[in-house]
Amino acid sequence: MSDLIQAVDSQQKIACAARQLREIAQQKELTPRMVLDVFEQWAAAMDDHELHDVPGVTFLRLWLRRGNLEPILLRELGPNSLNRAWREDGRAKLRAFPLGVVGHWPAANIEIQPILSLTCALLGGNTCLVRVPRRLVGITQLLMAKLQDVDRTGSLTERISLASFDHSRTDLHEAMAQAVDGAMIWGGAEAVARVRGLPFPHWARVVVFGPRLSAAAMDAEVWGNKTERSSWCRRIARDVWQFDQQACSSPQTLFLERGDGCDPGEFVEDLKQAFQEENRQHPRQQIEPALTSAISLARASWLLGDDRNRAQFPASPDWTILLGAGAEMPNPTQGRTLTVLVVDDLLTVVSKFDGTLQTLGLGIKDARREERLTLAAARCGVDRIMKLGRMHVFGSPWDGAEVIRSMVRLVRHVPSQD
Amino acid sequence: MSALAEIEQGIERLLTRPPYGVDPQQRHDALLALLKKELAYACDLNPRFRNYVESWPIDFRAADKIAELPYVPVGVFKANPPLALVEVDLVKRTLTSSSTTGQVPSRIVLDAATARRMARGVVTIIRDFIGPARRPYLVIDTPENLIAQAELGARGAAIQALGSFATEVVCCLRPGEDGDSGLDLDKLLAFAAKWKHDEVLVYGFTHVIWTRLVQPLQSRGVALDLPNVRLLHSGGWKRLEQQAVTREVFARGVASIFGCSADRIIDYYGMVENVGVIYPDCDHGNKHVPAFAEIIVRNPLTLAPVEAGQQGLIQVCSVLPTSFPGFLLLTEDMAEVIAYDECPCGRRGTSFRFAGRAPKAEVRGCGNLENTRYQQGQRIGVA
Repeated sequence: MSDLIQAVDSQQKIACAARQLREIAQQKELTPRMVLDVFEQWAAAMDDHELHDVPGVTFLRLWLRRGNLEPILLRELGPNSLNRAWREDGRAKLRAFPLGVVGHWPAANIEIQPILSLTCALLGGNTCLVRVPRRLVGITQLLMAKLQDVDRTGSLTERISLASFDHSRTDLHEAMAQAVDGAMIWGGAEAVARVRGLPFPHWARVVVFGPRLSAAAMDAEVWGNKTERSSWCRRIARDVWQFDQQACSSPQTLFLERGDGCDPGEFVEDLKQAFQEENRQHPRQQIEPALTSAISLARASWLLGDDRNRAQFPASPDWTILLGAGAEMPNPTQGRTLTVLVVDDLLTVVSKFDGTLQTLGLGIKDARREERLTLAAARCGVDRIMKLGRMHVFGSPWDGAEVIRSMVRLVRHVPSQD
Repeated sequence: MSALAEIEQGIERLLTRPPYGVDPQQRHDALLALLKKELAYACDLNPRFRNYVESWPIDFRAADKIAELPYVPVGVFKANPPLALVEVDLVKRTLTSSSTTGQVPSRIVLDAATARRMARGVVTIIRDFIGPARRPYLVIDTPENLIAQAELGARGAAIQALGSFATEVVCCLRPGEDGDSGLDLDKLLAFAAKWKHDEVLVYGFTHVIWTRLVQPLQSRGVALDLPNVRLLHSGGWKRLEQQAVTREVFARGVASIFGCSADRIIDYYGMVENVGVIYPDCDHGNKHVPAFAEIIVRNPLTLAPVEAGQQGLIQVCSVLPTSFPGFLLLTEDMAEVIAYDECPCGRRGTSFRFAGRAPKAEVRGCGNLENTRYQQGQRIGVA
């Protein structure tokens, strides 16, 4: 285990780390401006060859840039928030204060998620107690080392405590939950349910990101356009490949609206080429045998289930395209398996969505039609409607929640003297 | 000659060969030719199976190797109605897998011809390990597993498959009031006394033998004096591993109860989907493949066959079934290929060692909705 990430085996260690973090949070103020200064340098330091192949690091560098974060801060926390100054609100004054110690439970499938999660809390002036999943210890260590290099005063580094312990250690999860004032929980159904049930203090604010599913949709004018189609297919492949299709923002199903003279088989041929190219550029380095089994079963079940169904796949489990018809979202397989369903009307599909759907990736020619689809999707529970190829672009709000404001308190002061 | 008759002739030729004595290349070529015919036959009968085969990246008619032929994952046999190549009225028996709680079992349909071949396949294999003689047969299970039924579980199928080696059959467990079986000690001791000087055959599921026979007898301090026993067991080690019972502990415990040497205890791997083929351990601890079957161990990353010494997902191949498309099946089990020929035991062809079920995926991801209301709804078709 690295010196930046502590292998924790007792509740006392967690309580001790939390106590130190609380003292720092109460005694030392950290303005967003100070955070942004260090983040800007941190982003530059990440431009390192050892990090180039880490999924999500390119995005993380963009996320940390001042030009990206300043507008988010102003929108979420209001004017004057960069200096954490009071702002007028009629006769009252408002100012954002940190919650205190924020606990982070990132998902193990997103390499940059421990870092991404803690940056949101730091921008609110909080200190961070992060449980780093075993799989992400190495990469988190590398990323934190870059912060250590640029954070010469230690003003950010001292606010972060990274702990690693087995996911089955309920006692340590409980100790962590009892010690925090806020929590950011990311992950799949099983993990999220377990963490949500921990004994948080009654005042703690808990935000949950995931588990969700995502889908994509295109109208016939877009997918039937032979000249533009390959470019859209490349965008779809990019969305499928990132995070090995295990993120909540990963498209699992692509709905194609039927159009005169448009052949879904031709579209799938182009999509196949895009998948082959994406796979050539980003081949899988490892796979769990259980996922290989699931991919094989998805292919066979699809084709054996209905002889009108079609599929494209190589002999390896690298990628899979399943083609059929219907407006229902099938169970996701993940592992770069995209189900392409031809439908008569995208509005029918969207009207079946519920809160399970996080992101809808769109490729729609007519802006007014896109607006109608967006409204319908938003009413049915979808939180993000994005252009295809940008489904994973992390921003605020995420999952319908403001990522910085959710971890601050807006304190209202009405002066006692007029 | 009809396609089916031609296939049956081919199967017959392979079934009459010495199960472990054929040169691997000759065996490969014979199997490849027959498996291609069986695939074509299945495609003609089942349009959905044809749809799958035609979507396979390699045209099976042009394949040079068995490894290139289209295989289906065993999970497809959980479908209801079962995946079949015969009409319902020709189904003589349906075999069901032993699924764990909450899981859907596989269902395999057998017509008369496939059922006959299944029995012959098992007999051919077992004969090579224990000899052809018939002998008293002790079943470590309850008598209802001996009843011929239209639907038969994995335990019943395994017990009945050895019936042709039996001169008489005795089941030494009796059903308990709570549904749990208990040892019928009087029956067991009577069997042991009657046949103490003779060759006897014993079969049971691995965990049943341990928990229902060995542990109760050990706790009572009872030993059976049956040194000429041949004990076969199957069903996997998962439950015993949970109790920290290793293969060595199991073999020692069973041998001390029967008063036999540990080499008279044979563990075998098998599954209902791979009907008629089982894989007993040889004296060198390796499993072998008979002339009418093949095994391919595939790298999970590429699904290409692994080199000797490497582990991967097991694909089983068998020419025996014609009532369901179970010729080429990708299992969810792992194995290590020991060698592609020349096991010191003298059996030819691939030798391998079972390495357990493929571990469940650790990384679940924020896109995983397992056990949520959404997925439960999808599973029952209401979402």
